[in-house]
Amino acid sequence: MVVSEAKEIMRISWGPQHPMSGQFRFILETDGENVYEIIPDFGFTHRGIEKILEYRTFVQGIVPFERLAMVDAANVGLAYVRAIEDAAGIEVPKRAQYIRTILCEISRINSHLYAIGLAAEAAGGYPAIFLWTTADRELFLDLAEMLTGARWSYAFFIPGGVRADIPEGFKERALKVLSYFEKRLIAYRDSWLENEIWLTRSRGVGRLSAEDAIKLGAAGPSLRGSGVELDMRKEEKYEAYEELNFKVAVQKEGDCQARFMVRFLEMIESTKIIRQALENLPPGPFKKPVPPKLPKGEGFARVETARGEMDVHVILDGSDKPYRVKVCAPSFRNLYVISKLPKLTKILVADVPVVIWSFDPWYLDADR
Amino acid sequence: MSFPIGRVILGPVELVLRKVFDWSRHYSLWPAHFVTGCCSPEFMQTAGPRYDMERFGVLPLASVRQSDVLMVVGLVTKKMAKRIKLLYDQMPEPKYVMAIGACPISKGPFRESYSIVSLDEVVPVDVYVPGCPPRPEAILHGVMLLQRLVLEGR
Amino acid sequence: MSEEEVIKAISENFGELVVESKVLRPKKVSITVKPEGLVSIATFLRDSLGFDHPLGAGAIDYPAENKIQMVYYIWSMNRRMLIMLRADTPRDNPRLPTLSSVWDQMNLHEREAWEMFGIVFEGHPRLEHLLLPEDWEEGVYPLRKDYKLPER
Repeated sequence: MVVSEAKEIMRISWGPQHPMSGQFRFILETDGENVYEIIPDFGFTHRGIEKILEYRTFVQGIVPFERLAMVDAANVGLAYVRAIEDAAGIEVPKRAQYIRTILCEISRINSHLYAIGLAAEAAGGYPAIFLWTTADRELFLDLAEMLTGARWSYAFFIPGGVRADIPEGFKERALKVLSYFEKRLIAYRDSWLENEIWLTRSRGVGRLSAEDAIKLGAAGPSLRGSGVELDMRKEEKYEAYEELNFKVAVQKEGDCQARFMVRFLEMIESTKIIRQALENLPPGPFKKPVPPKLPKGEGFARVETARGEMDVHVILDGSDKPYRVKVCAPSFRNLYVISKLPKLTKILVADVPVVIWSFDPWYLDADR
Repeated sequence: MSFPIGRVILGPVELVLRKVFDWSRHYSLWPAHFVTGCCSPEFMQTAGPRYDMERFGVLPLASVRQSDVLMVVGLVTKKMAKRIKLLYDQMPEPKYVMAIGACPISKGPFRESYSIVSLDEVVPVDVYVPGCPPRPEAILHGVMLLQRLVLEGR
Repeated sequence: MSEEEVIKAISENFGELVVESKVLRPKKVSITVKPEGLVSIATFLRDSLGFDHPLGAGAIDYPAENKIQMVYYIWSMNRRMLIMLRADTPRDNPRLPTLSSVWDQMNLHEREAWEMFGIVFEGHPRLEHLLLPEDWEEGVYPLRKDYKLPER
């Protein structure tokens, strides 16, 4: 990027109080039109969760851990629970694996709808798409409430299984919601994904090549939108994903439209996964007793959250609390990729909200 | 003896006008869009069609200088606290503050954290809405409490 | 290449610099190296063995053994394998060479490890506060074991 001497570079603070940046500050270096540098400023939502977890027992720790990304609480909570199970060598009964899969996919749909709704708001479509996604999310929140008792903050997964079994009437209700939602997805595609105004703002904008995405460490739909096929559900084969039939959504272009297309296709795959899991639910127990104190060891779990791969490294010291929990958050890496983007491709100031939302960073995830 | 204009005419007129302004303000409380934590998805749901905050007159806006109430939805870190004080000072009077969620009230599930403060330590708070996250009905109840405060002329 | 072959390739080329190596789980390898060998082993991992996708990095405090262990997590797209590259450094003067020249993203992770544990990364372009506020007390490292949170 050649900076002409005649232009003046301004430093603009995008955030931390700005609806399109959430609780984060991007310092933009721009000449008014072109953005030459994006400097991220982390830490506005830092809670020190890694330290707090050392003071909580394994089951108590799930509550603050989920709040890393409560919009996608099931997948995030699963990462911690799986790391503990990996460290202690606990096998989870099959029925619990299927129930976990169902809740994880509901959570993924919620999270993608959130990203789509706010991206549309960022690009100017506030009343229509934002409110549609909010309304559709209500149906899935009702399903989650029927299963776990909470709309967003489940704390439903415990080491050894899940807290409760699928209640009466859940399957019928879920199938009804899914068939309604599949029709809604067609509406989203027609009125938003293939909308000319949206396409001019997102097609060709913020292009990230496959090798840059790998080298810089992009995660989730940001990686798959650049043509790299990496999905922890197929890689680690955890819970019931190995036995269910679904595709990994990958797009080649690497621009904002590709990343949103990946999210859209993932929602379609999620409805398929939930249907299959409900049809093939195996009988049996839904949890296994696990002692409060776990032996010394080390566990590592990789889970595909809606924003990308989350890794949790847990070190146990023989007591009932973990010795150290290290979280590799997907949004931390995606925010890093955003900061490198102006050096790789041309970005205008008007593109910044769409580019940021196409990576879908969840700042609480990054700050931990 | 001069006619006590202040007491007899201007005083009651001012009282009536104040009541009219309070009544119109309580139906148009515009918050500054300030979601700091995990309560944000629940706040979005409150703005959605099922719970619909806007029928109470609550329309989230971008600029602090045009808003009546600072709704702090989520946690307040030490790094953020300075900015909240700055924003609060920039808001024009009459202004209110609403703490939504367990975190701004009393640090919530992160009680022991080394980097969170409760909102009380930064700005004066008018309405507290507990919950982690609070249900949309609870947030609406908080809005209605704030409306009552405004009507009472606080 | 299997996990054992990856370990063998590293040990053959770097001999003494590798302190410990093991296959943690299928497709997950862990090696502990001496700090002097970090940069050369990291470059070898990236260029010859194809570990090109950085995932993160963090540290673990072991006050009983008077050491702080820094762990780097990298994934190889071609081999579909994860490696945990570890290095120990003494607790009273923790210094390690920076790996931000090998994997650019480690820049941010090392800043976090510095502010949380006090590890000084030699050669790091910008060792400043990342997550903690700018006016955080100097010399106080929250994730070390001797920093106690108030018990509730």
